Amino acid sequence: MITLKNSFRKSDKNMVSLLAIAIGIVAIMTAITPEFLTGSNISSMAFQFPEFGILCFGMMFCMISGGIDLSLVGAANLSGIVAAVIITGMGKSSFSVIVGIAAAVVVGALCGLLNGYLIGQLQIPAMLVTLCGGQLFSGLGLAITKGPAITGMPNSVLAISNGSLGVIPYSLLIYIFVALALNFVLKYTVYGQQLTFMGTNATASRYTGINNLRVTMLTYMLSGIAAAIAGIIIISHYGSAKSDYGTSYTLLALLIVVLGGVAPLGGKGKVLGVTLSVIILQLISSAFNILRFNSFFKTLAWGLLLIVVMVVKSVNQDYSMKFWRKKL
Amino acid sequence: MNRLKCFNKLSSNEMIVVYIIVVLSLLIGFVNPAFFALSTIFGTFRSMLIMTIFALCEMIIIISGGIDVSFPAIASFSLYFTVSLMNQYKIDSVLVAFFLSGFFGLAWGLLNALLIGTFRIPALIATLGTSSLANGAVLVYSNGREISNIPTSVDAISQKYLFSVTNTNGGKSSLTILILFPIFLCILIHWILKYTILGRKIYAVGGDYNAARIAGINVKRTQYIIYTAAGFLVGIAGICNTILLRNAHPSNLMGAEMMVIAAVVIGGTRITGGHGSVIGTVLGVLLITLVSNNLIMLGIPNYWQAFAVGLIIVIGTSITSLKAKKIALSPKI
Repeated sequence: MITLKNSFRKSDKNMVSLLAIAIGIVAIMTAITPEFLTGSNISSMAFQFPEFGILCFGMMFCMISGGIDLSLVGAANLSGIVAAVIITGMGKSSFSVIVGIAAAVVVGALCGLLNGYLIGQLQIPAMLVTLCGGQLFSGLGLAITKGPAITGMPNSVLAISNGSLGVIPYSLLIYIFVALALNFVLKYTVYGQQLTFMGTNATASRYTGINNLRVTMLTYMLSGIAAAIAGIIIISHYGSAKSDYGTSYTLLALLIVVLGGVAPLGGKGKVLGVTLSVIILQLISSAFNILRFNSFFKTLAWGLLLIVVMVVKSVNQDYSMKFWRKKL
Repeated sequence: MNRLKCFNKLSSNEMIVVYIIVVLSLLIGFVNPAFFALSTIFGTFRSMLIMTIFALCEMIIIISGGIDVSFPAIASFSLYFTVSLMNQYKIDSVLVAFFLSGFFGLAWGLLNALLIGTFRIPALIATLGTSSLANGAVLVYSNGREISNIPTSVDAISQKYLFSVTNTNGGKSSLTILILFPIFLCILIHWILKYTILGRKIYAVGGDYNAARIAGINVKRTQYIIYTAAGFLVGIAGICNTILLRNAHPSNLMGAEMMVIAAVVIGGTRITGGHGSVIGTVLGVLLITLVSNNLIMLGIPNYWQAFAVGLIIVIGTSITSLKAKKIALSPKI
């Protein structure tokens, strides 16, 4: 009992509140309609969230480093397009699929490295670089496709987001693998520690001998790779590649990451928090679908939610600061 | 000494943009002589109109150390609700149109100011939120449909011209009267930034937030003034857009924020705040408009345009940022 109490006390307040929100949504929705907790709805949710869930990890790493990545969707689409071009160009064999996926990851990493170089070496603010980068990447994607979508993906590609191993979709397995890997990187590697230090105070981290440029470039490269993986899931989901798929994901990723307890100014963030927050957003999105809300309504709701979450966090912070001052 | 001053002036940010504009215009004119015509100039002015208003507001906000990506959404919201309400209540007045649209914009600007000034939320995240909120609201309300019947007196402004010129082969090219608004705004903002206390405060807040606060500037009030004023002007830009295009579309302005920020930064405004000028911004808008309107004249296919614009933006922002870094690192006397 004592250990349970201790572990509860030790656990992050943010995680507890996220869990409470998730349970609350499920409870309310089950009360409104029995459709919500059916197996088919749960499985459709499990098929939907990995593609933007993986993008969120890219956003999370950049935000921990004190920056932001607004080029995720552009990089994801560009990688997806490159993969699609290679796969269709090489005759849709299983070998071509492997080459295509590898090329997509390389393209994603290069996009990230370009961002990281401009941010780390030239000291241009991350927001500006990635905003321009997003335009550049999706523009390049548009130039490659010349407008229309590249269609005709072989079945092996389609299986990535539509097939499943038993009851667990492949895309969910990819998501879990990425989450575990990034959790390991963030918690147990030197790079992860350096990333958190740099996000907390870039000047101090430079004086302790951390190579800020290297950490920044690695971070944006990881973010680019996450975008590439999401890009592959996106082309598998749509069965085609185009330069303007998933444009709403940028805001969604930002919302999820902020809701998941990552500090917008850097230095703090957990994979578990982001995962919980991805699940919450998917629950809300499914709830809207079941209640037959207009798809435009989601845009409004995400904006409202982002503002409310930020205001609550800001008020909370002020409150806790006052509390500590009184205590001291 | 005089020569050094002259060199500094000739290699300033504004002048670099001027050189690029001149070279680009000559290049376009060389490939396609039809470029050098009065109608091109009028057309360029016309497409610059809305973007100039956006860019001037964005510039003030960036100078004050913030950023705003909610302009297109606010403008779309204001123009759509204004036209819709006026149609519903059968109001047919130009003045009402402008004030209503400005009022909607002002309300959104106030929300931005509240989030950024009072709750201290990072400006990018706050304005992304308001952008999504405003865009979602207008899309839900309109269901994605545009309104093409605009109140007659408002619509009539689209036929009012400052002056028209008939060229040799009978074609008529005219300059819309709305161009007076951004010109007036340029002069006003230049005057405010250069010669008023408010302008000095804006530069001070952007230069160093804490230093400005300690120096006795009411930072919060300055931010409220900037964001609400920007909201108001953007609302008016929205109704101008309706008049120019002669319809009210809920989302065709969306995506312009990217170009606006790029134009401001290319014009020499530092994204970290504290520096920027009206002339630079107008030149930046001119460059971006020339590039995005005339690449087709250079024979660059349509689908390469987004990439070309992106490339120019990346290079332009890199050059200005490098220059800013060099100035910051140079020894101070």
